[in-house]
Amino acid sequence: MISSPTQYLKTRINQDSVAPWLFSLPGILLLLAFLVTPFLLAVTYSFTNLRLLSPIPLRFVGLENYVETLQDPIFYRALANMLLFVVIVVPVQTGLALTLAILVNQKLFAVKAFRTIYFAPVLSVMAVAAVVWRILYVPDGGFINGFLGAVSGGALHPLWLHSTSTALLAIIIMSVWQGVGFQMIVLLAGLQDIPEDLYEAANIDGANRWHQFRFVTVPQLRNSLLFVVTITTIFAFGLFDQVYVMTRGGPLNSTQTLMLTLVDVGYGRQRIGQASAIAVIFFVIVLAINIAQRLLIREEEA
Amino acid sequence: MAMRRLAVLLGLFTVLGTACTSGGGGQTSTAGCTGKVSGGPVTVKLWFHSGTGAERDVVASQVSAFNASRSDVKVQLVLLPEGQYNDQVKAAAAGGQLPDILDFDGPFLYNYAWSRNLIPMDSCISSDLKADLLPSIVAQGTYAKHLYGVGSIDSGLGLYTRKSLLTKNGIRIPSGPQDAWSADEFSKILKTLQGAGFKKPLDLKLNYGATEWYTYGFSPIIQSAGGDLINRSNYQSADGVLNSSASVQALTVFQSWFKAGYVDPNDDDAAFKTGRSAISWVGHWMFVDYKKVYGDDLVILPLPNFGTGSKTGMGSWQWGITSNAKSVDAAWAFVNYLLQDKQIIQYTNANGAVPATKSAIAQSPQFAQGSPEYIYVVQLQSIAVPRPQTPAYPTITQSFTKAIDDIVHGGDVKTALDNAVRTIDKDIKSNDGYPIKG
Repeated sequence: MISSPTQYLKTRINQDSVAPWLFSLPGILLLLAFLVTPFLLAVTYSFTNLRLLSPIPLRFVGLENYVETLQDPIFYRALANMLLFVVIVVPVQTGLALTLAILVNQKLFAVKAFRTIYFAPVLSVMAVAAVVWRILYVPDGGFINGFLGAVSGGALHPLWLHSTSTALLAIIIMSVWQGVGFQMIVLLAGLQDIPEDLYEAANIDGANRWHQFRFVTVPQLRNSLLFVVTITTIFAFGLFDQVYVMTRGGPLNSTQTLMLTLVDVGYGRQRIGQASAIAVIFFVIVLAINIAQRLLIREEEA
Repeated sequence: MAMRRLAVLLGLFTVLGTACTSGGGGQTSTAGCTGKVSGGPVTVKLWFHSGTGAERDVVASQVSAFNASRSDVKVQLVLLPEGQYNDQVKAAAAGGQLPDILDFDGPFLYNYAWSRNLIPMDSCISSDLKADLLPSIVAQGTYAKHLYGVGSIDSGLGLYTRKSLLTKNGIRIPSGPQDAWSADEFSKILKTLQGAGFKKPLDLKLNYGATEWYTYGFSPIIQSAGGDLINRSNYQSADGVLNSSASVQALTVFQSWFKAGYVDPNDDDAAFKTGRSAISWVGHWMFVDYKKVYGDDLVILPLPNFGTGSKTGMGSWQWGITSNAKSVDAAWAFVNYLLQDKQIIQYTNANGAVPATKSAIAQSPQFAQGSPEYIYVVQLQSIAVPRPQTPAYPTITQSFTKAIDDIVHGGDVKTALDNAVRTIDKDIKSNDGYPIKG
């Protein structure tokens, strides 16, 4: 029996502190089992000589794996490629997603069909899409060069995946195509959350379309945009599927990424210890960039 | 996108985790054959790489024929895609999930054997069968004095071309490996053929990409020049061998073919078949296909001589019994079945490969003297070089493949080979030189 308001409140608080934990328990357990524990294992392994298959006894090697990784020129090439990829893909993909979201937010006939079309690539499996795009990119007889040749009268004939100067660009175009639909949907949801009366008010105040976009849409979309930028950055850093299928890091390391190096070292050369060191370094880099992003955004708020 | 990324990560972490729990070594089974399958019926799981369709169909039919003929052993065939086959085997080994019988590309045997994922077959194979196998098959299957694998087939490389085309352009036709074209001569021939209207006269099967093909197909170049993938006296270093001046020089010639625009990218895998290229540098497995197109005009010539005589690759996919096998006798019963002449010939008819036994070769007209594929028999007896018989092979092939890929795309030859040497030597050092134990 509840006799006083304070007691009632206490019971409520007790219930409230148990129920949320109960509900999040499955998620927490899964995270512990599949993310936290493996990560801690990876950190441990990174200080050992662990191999995928080996009769050699496990032993502690100190910082050897880290030193070796940081002395490897391929590591820096992979890092540079990834940074370039992120620096291009994040703004381009976000900008394009925003444009598409605004376009498919119009109240037009068959607009749902367009939404589906732009979103369709997201549903395709990256590995399959990569195989298809590899064929599209074939310099002689491929669809893309066929199109470029027809449009430019034969002047444009890039070698795409076969050239160090265009391979990463080819990967970028394909990645944006595949990923942009997801961001579009997130931003579309954000757009539809913006109350119509804000635009009406802006209209009455004499704001033109650009001003409405700049002072109503963008500020209202702020949270969605932040989410999109963060998620895109993290995904972009994990670049793997496309390069694994399309170039294996070549030509001449021009599309090498850290994830690819990690798999080459861990699977190809079976050096799990060193692959773990790469994983840890990768984690630290992505974490640092995310923290930096957050700090920058906080400053803006202040 | 998120889910897949997560799946990849999870997969990797799972492997990390299982690598730990299984001690990274796999269990050791020293049991051999007793000569009798007991406690039947025993189910034997077989993993097979899904290569060409014809090969796959033959193995599937062999499995069902075997199953129909035996009541005590049932073979269960599992097909895995070839592209990632080695990675899947490694992951399964680390997770203790290997099947009873495994097929694997020859040179990976040493690593599996060293890691104790395979068990020796010495107590299983009859002395008659062993004596009938090609010496190259036994050599490829032996590690640390034990036989760990046997193949149904051996392999070989060659330059596939058309007799009529060579005659028309006044090009000398070598009669065998001893008078193979020299590297210079070959470069000139490519030039001649380009002049004769073949814009890209040479097909190097680049469509296979940077895979085992690069090592199998192009390491004979440096071996012909006097270099090698590793110093075979003790298998401890590649320095001064892989990056020797002879190797650098030979691969510089190889690179010059790309620079001169002789090499077809072969994106459609039809450069030779459609007549776009005049010469196809490839292994025995294209024989059946090419023969269909060109018939008797087709000729197989030895690879060019880069200094110390023409060389070729050898060794192919092999059968091994894993330390996971429930019954070694049951597993061997099937492997033994595959090595009967009749089964071998059925297999080689599908893929054009060299039969693994002398008696099967004798029954194969296409390998008799005067037949186009006779060159493979000759090569295996004279100029074939096995891929390095060391557990370091996975690293060696990955590094060499990378070097070739760099060279193909115009990278500096010496730098590419130096990088490969560094990776290989580091790998050997980090494994304490791959000591042979017990």
